[in-house]
Amino acid sequence: MTLTDRQQLSYIASQAADARLNVELETEGMTLNIGPQHPATHGTLRIICRLDGEQVVWAEPVAGYMHRGYEKLTEVRTFPQVTTLVNRIDWLGSFANEVPFILAAEKLMEIEAPPRAQVIRTILFELSRIANVSLFLGDLGVQMGAITPVFLAFRDREYILNLIEGATGGRFHPNFDRIGGLKDDLPKGWIEETRGAVKKLEQFCDTIDDLLFGNEIFQSRMRGIGIIPADIATDYGLSGANARASGIDWDLRRDQDIPLSYDLADWKVWTHPDGDSWARCWIRLQETRESCKIVTQLLDQIPAGPVMTKVPRIIKVPEGEAWVSTENPLGEMGYYVVSKGGLGPFRVKIRSASFNNISIVPWALKGVYVPDVITILASLYFILGDIDR
Amino acid sequence: MAPLSDDTTIKDGPSTDAPAALPGDGLREGIIDNLRSHIGEAIVDTKITPNDDLWIRVSTEAWLTAGQALKNAGFTYFCFLSGLDWMPSPYGTGEEDPDDEPKEPDTEIVQGYTGGETRFQVFARLTDLNRHVGVTIKADVPDDRLVMESWSHLFAGANWHERECHEMYGIGFDNHPDLRNMYLPGDFEGYPLRKDFPLLARMVKPWPGIVDVEPMPAEDEAESPVDDKGDES
Amino acid sequence: MGLVDKSRLPAPLTKLFNMSRSYSLWVYQWGLACCAIEMGAAFGSPRYDVMRLGVIPLPASPRQADFVCVSGTVTDKMAPAVKRLWEQMPEPKYAISMGSCANCGGPYWDSYSVTKGVDQIIPIDVYVPGCPPRPEALLEGVVLLQQRIKNEDMAAKWRGDEFTTLQRTRAMEAGEVDRDGELINVPTAPTLETAQAVDSVRPEPIVVGGGPIE
Ligand code: SF4
Repeated sequence: MTLTDRQQLSYIASQAADARLNVELETEGMTLNIGPQHPATHGTLRIICRLDGEQVVWAEPVAGYMHRGYEKLTEVRTFPQVTTLVNRIDWLGSFANEVPFILAAEKLMEIEAPPRAQVIRTILFELSRIANVSLFLGDLGVQMGAITPVFLAFRDREYILNLIEGATGGRFHPNFDRIGGLKDDLPKGWIEETRGAVKKLEQFCDTIDDLLFGNEIFQSRMRGIGIIPADIATDYGLSGANARASGIDWDLRRDQDIPLSYDLADWKVWTHPDGDSWARCWIRLQETRESCKIVTQLLDQIPAGPVMTKVPRIIKVPEGEAWVSTENPLGEMGYYVVSKGGLGPFRVKIRSASFNNISIVPWALKGVYVPDVITILASLYFILGDIDR
Repeated sequence: MAPLSDDTTIKDGPSTDAPAALPGDGLREGIIDNLRSHIGEAIVDTKITPNDDLWIRVSTEAWLTAGQALKNAGFTYFCFLSGLDWMPSPYGTGEEDPDDEPKEPDTEIVQGYTGGETRFQVFARLTDLNRHVGVTIKADVPDDRLVMESWSHLFAGANWHERECHEMYGIGFDNHPDLRNMYLPGDFEGYPLRKDFPLLARMVKPWPGIVDVEPMPAEDEAESPVDDKGDES
Repeated sequence: MGLVDKSRLPAPLTKLFNMSRSYSLWVYQWGLACCAIEMGAAFGSPRYDVMRLGVIPLPASPRQADFVCVSGTVTDKMAPAVKRLWEQMPEPKYAISMGSCANCGGPYWDSYSVTKGVDQIIPIDVYVPGCPPRPEALLEGVVLLQQRIKNEDMAAKWRGDEFTTLQRTRAMEAGEVDRDGELINVPTAPTLETAQAVDSVRPEPIVVGGGPIE
């Protein structure tokens, strides 16, 4: 694989950083601790950096401040109870967390949700992606000292939260997915409302595009910073927008056969060859636009019919193992469910996107300057609950 | 588009067409044959669920070589690595009614797909991004020495997953650079994901058990709740 | 403020001070999990706009803050940091616990790594239940806290015995404390009774929406 100039430069910088660790230093080393509670870390992540002058020579994230023991707790809950729990992994896009788990349980039970439920699921899935990524886009400005975008994000995100609340009853943690379908049908007038709200979010994307992505300071702080080549990205298991920004053409919505209705809509998977911070943010912006497109198209195609198939009143999942992953707002989120035929799962391995995405931080921060630490972390986009589970 | 962005570097992704043929089971068998040609008899068992997924169990010694062979065969994307404890929990599953007679705890160890001989197993998932196919690979962890060969030099991402697995199950990894605790405070005792690790809060205050769901008044007893309000929007 | 804690302030002055304190509260946001986003919506978004209540979010450090809003799951690993933060804040200080997790452990009541209630570490004045509570609920918690501050006996608060004028009057009537708020007949060794007596003069925590702390 060929490296771009920028990639070569960053490689040289990281080699120099390595070398500097071993020779007698002229400059004075220093250890910088960021976090656990720091406005720039999206929660309670702690990063320890060892600095040489202005450059980071070694960095390590300390996770675990938000470890709640999900995998153990799922073992003492029944299948329907687990959805309440897994909502809270990636708390910005809650509905998206339920879907792969429910799909895994449905796979083991060999049932499938009716078409109407599948389409509504897809719509809600994309809405939660918009809710998640719009806050990312707003927050991005804050990391670089721009205050306005976050107000815009909070304002426009409310439209989506209202929609999710209208359909499911919860702003944050809907717990709306059921094994075999959905809890309820859509309320009256919801579809019209959604059309309006999605338009507003498209405008929000345009505003952010002008305000941030067109901003010279933003560009000079993002472009060519924190480059991750494609082979490193796959090695670490980067997924989602982080992988696509490194030129990996891989989107689970398109590339796998799951019972969600993405094939009904006409949309694109965006990739970017650069792999720098700017590319990662830009891909997310484009994805929000694509999500808006998907939602608008699917709204016209909701078939009639029930939203729930016949399932027994007390759900027992047959013995077996299943792996289902979906393209969540943060990347590939999957559940490996082992059932022993009981009321609850025997073991659930939760593969969350941020865990892998953040494990690249020691590699990506090597050799960068201190101000870039924040932009690289911001562009990798993680949510603490998703790292620690 | 933003006025200053450098549009020449941006390439549109391909459109939404799925790959011409989704990987069939023939492809999965091909993967097994290919792996067998590299590591031979180290493949203990395999399982294919039709049109869905593939499991391979390799012997303990071949764990690293199997990973290497799969990586060479195109499975470059590291998804996850973790452990499994097949012992049934001595504390029950939290579903029992606490007023019932305590049942004799089940102690028989039954492994899942592709079988196994030991209580602990490690399993990992790798994906081939070009052929759009994934594989779950499992291996037994010997009961007398809970140590596996580390994958962290093979897949850089395995580093953190192995740390997690070590912390949760107490499974060691040879040649791992740094097996410190990841989540829990340093003075934490025990391996939480082992089945014999008790959840103290549950011991103190047991769950009331599965509450039998009473049917809604208007519902037919025999029928499960089906929502057929139809399209009302 | 040697004046305030040594002498007894005239009532109108206390009122004035309390009012000014309650309408210029700097809040330190200790956002830990999902609730932090709702707290962000309440404190940082134009829709809920906490500043109209006279609460100023985003101080530079806990040393500038008047109250802390602990929102989200407190894990055992995080607990020492929460305690340290609380100790860094200057007196008088207040705490709001937002969300079921911070109140009592919430959905993780049986987890091995979650602290079941932040009140095991720091004293809490207002509990806001919900998972997550709506931003409106948090705003109500803030208003209730302001009401408490307005009714406070400043001198007592400054001295560190936390109770309100009303409670002190009650305690005086019950003969538990003398006119200056000192406990009467306190044996030197702490016993169960003294502990209860001290408890009875501590302000009761407020729960938004009433009801038990859940
Ligand atoms: S109370 Fe609920 S919403 Fe709040 S932090 Fe806990 S789980 Fe998240």
